Amino acid sequence: MLNRPVSLAAVVAAAALGLTACGSDVGARDAAVGSSHTQDWGQVVDAAKGQQVNWYMWGGDPTLNQFVNGYLNERLRRYDITINQVKINDTAEAIDTMLGEKQAGKTRDGSVDLVWVNGENFATGKQAHLWACDWAEHLPNAKYVDFDDPAVALDFGVPVDGCEAVWQQANSALVYNSQALKAGDVASIESLLAWAEEHPGRFTYPAPPDFTGSMAVRTLLYDTIGGPKELTGPFEAKAYEDAAPRLWDRLNAIEPTLWRKGETYPQTQDQVEKMFSDGEIDAYFSYGPGAVGDKVSKGVFPTSTREAVLAGGNIANSSFVGIPANAAHDDAALVVANLLQDPQTQLELYKLEGTYPGIDLSRATAAIRGQFDDVPLSPSVLPLDELLANAQPELASDYVTRLERDWKSNVLQR
Amino acid sequence: MNSTRTTRVRARVQHQGGTLRIALMLAPAMTVVLVFFVGGIGYALLQSLGYQPFIGRTDLSLDAYRAILDDPAVRASLGLTLRLALVGTSLSAVLGTGIALLIHRLGRSRRWGFALMQLNLAVPHVVGALAIGLLLSQSGLLARLAHGAGLVGAPATFPALVADAHGFGIVAEYVWKETPFLALLALTALGRGTDQLGHAAQVLGAGPLQRLRHVIVPAVLPPVAAGSILVFAFVLGSYEVPYLLGRPFPATLPVVAYEYYTDIDLSYRAEAMAIAVLIALLALAAMLGFLALVGRLARRAT
Repeated sequence: MLNRPVSLAAVVAAAALGLTACGSDVGARDAAVGSSHTQDWGQVVDAAKGQQVNWYMWGGDPTLNQFVNGYLNERLRRYDITINQVKINDTAEAIDTMLGEKQAGKTRDGSVDLVWVNGENFATGKQAHLWACDWAEHLPNAKYVDFDDPAVALDFGVPVDGCEAVWQQANSALVYNSQALKAGDVASIESLLAWAEEHPGRFTYPAPPDFTGSMAVRTLLYDTIGGPKELTGPFEAKAYEDAAPRLWDRLNAIEPTLWRKGETYPQTQDQVEKMFSDGEIDAYFSYGPGAVGDKVSKGVFPTSTREAVLAGGNIANSSFVGIPANAAHDDAALVVANLLQDPQTQLELYKLEGTYPGIDLSRATAAIRGQFDDVPLSPSVLPLDELLANAQPELASDYVTRLERDWKSNVLQR
Repeated sequence: MNSTRTTRVRARVQHQGGTLRIALMLAPAMTVVLVFFVGGIGYALLQSLGYQPFIGRTDLSLDAYRAILDDPAVRASLGLTLRLALVGTSLSAVLGTGIALLIHRLGRSRRWGFALMQLNLAVPHVVGALAIGLLLSQSGLLARLAHGAGLVGAPATFPALVADAHGFGIVAEYVWKETPFLALLALTALGRGTDQLGHAAQVLGAGPLQRLRHVIVPAVLPPVAAGSILVFAFVLGSYEVPYLLGRPFPATLPVVAYEYYTDIDLSYRAEAMAIAVLIALLALAAMLGFLALVGRLARRAT
């Protein structure tokens, strides 16, 4: 127990040494952790021995649960660490637990050691100072992570600040039937909408606040205002009010070309995908293009199904693991976070269910890259490099909710 | 004298003991009703007035009610919800009564009709809604049959029966599910001696119309009316059917309420609860209105 509070500091301090050499501002980081220990990763690993990590994560995916309890536990054996997967329905449950402990004054020995998190929940935790910070850059495997990538540096517009380590990426893409749309039609939003005008009723998106429908609206927003630059960072009313009317004009203008002439919209992404498989529409936006190959091989989607990233790029979000500031087993949690960023682990997950790596593959060894390339790919699915090449960050969640609300009054109810 | 007094005292003691016993025996059921029904509605009412200690709001106001009445989504929803409930209930009641009378006339093979009517009672509404969707959507079974017969070309040329402007698919699901329910209620009422009454009336010289008016209708009306109130109240508060077969706008009140309830901004729960209270009030008003109407009709019929 003696070295328990040390471990996070250990990583930071070790890194601080490195950073001093680089001439970075180390003082602030040191102060944030309040420790002058200079220890290395080896000491974290030593301290982690025999610990059990209580990992709070969404438990609705059997394949992923199997991966956590099987593959990961197997690889953690040599560290003498085990994972206790705490399955939750909504990450907010973990945040509630952490908030409750903080309010009860429990600043150490907390019940949560690791949380699979992103977006709103991360922002809430950061606002309430629930996370341990300044550690993610200092994991040994952080060398595989591109911290300049906005999808890694920002989590739905909130700076990550080393309070969580990237694990997975989700990239959006346009899914279309290549018998109906030609390559030229899916080159850009402009050409897609021109195609829709010639083929009225064959394209649509689900009504926000549906998660994917909301993303489709933001994709059109980026195209309308020339990328997310104007809206990067926290919510600013002026920037929003400048951008939004242009988007509403455009969305209203395309309504006659949409399914049911835009008089109404599908309620859910499920409904949209069913309409695609029934041949009612020929194209839709998806946040899970990796799963399309499976649907084609099962005969749900036509074999002519293809994917495209339009000019201007595709919206992507990353999901992370965070460690609560009061975690009882933070040493072991650090080891697990590090293992998750291991290229071999990322490859295993990609093989299992097409989950896109959170790390930057160009930093991995050629052998690993080769193994990623060797994973058989359905001709319907985009290869990783094309999907990752022009990924665009998500907006701050305040923008997202505002867009969802205003879409209703400015587009749906008109 | 003495003995009379003893009897009276004993009777009073027994009476009090009886009340206590009844109260004790009812207690478990009453607890459930009080906690879940009265308690639930009470808490919904409190939250609709803005009582939300979990986000530090404890002052009460009518703000949520003002907000929902200003919301175009709620305003459009009010008319739609009432229309769907009214159309769905009346169609089911008329069809159900008609089918019951038909089955009643079958004589000995009545049992088969009775069994047929019970078939879909166990099917949940959500399954019914999915089935109606598969049947009526523009790429559904009917559309495919029409396409096979050369009646329509592309899916979009088949008339929109699901997610349509009039809520046709929603009404279809309610009628499919509730008609047999109301028919069963009518059939049960018809079984109780109406045959003999009808014969008696016939012997006394009553024509078919007179028998319908003075024998059949008085027997069928009370159960079908009571069942219709149930159906109406259910449709007012039902979520899954309009969610699966309806449009995002205008949507029915329960769909709008749920959207408010699941908003990431917790303060919108007040609006969600205000809509829930509104639905409860509408159902209550409908019930009182129905009862008054049925009372008048029943008095006129006899």
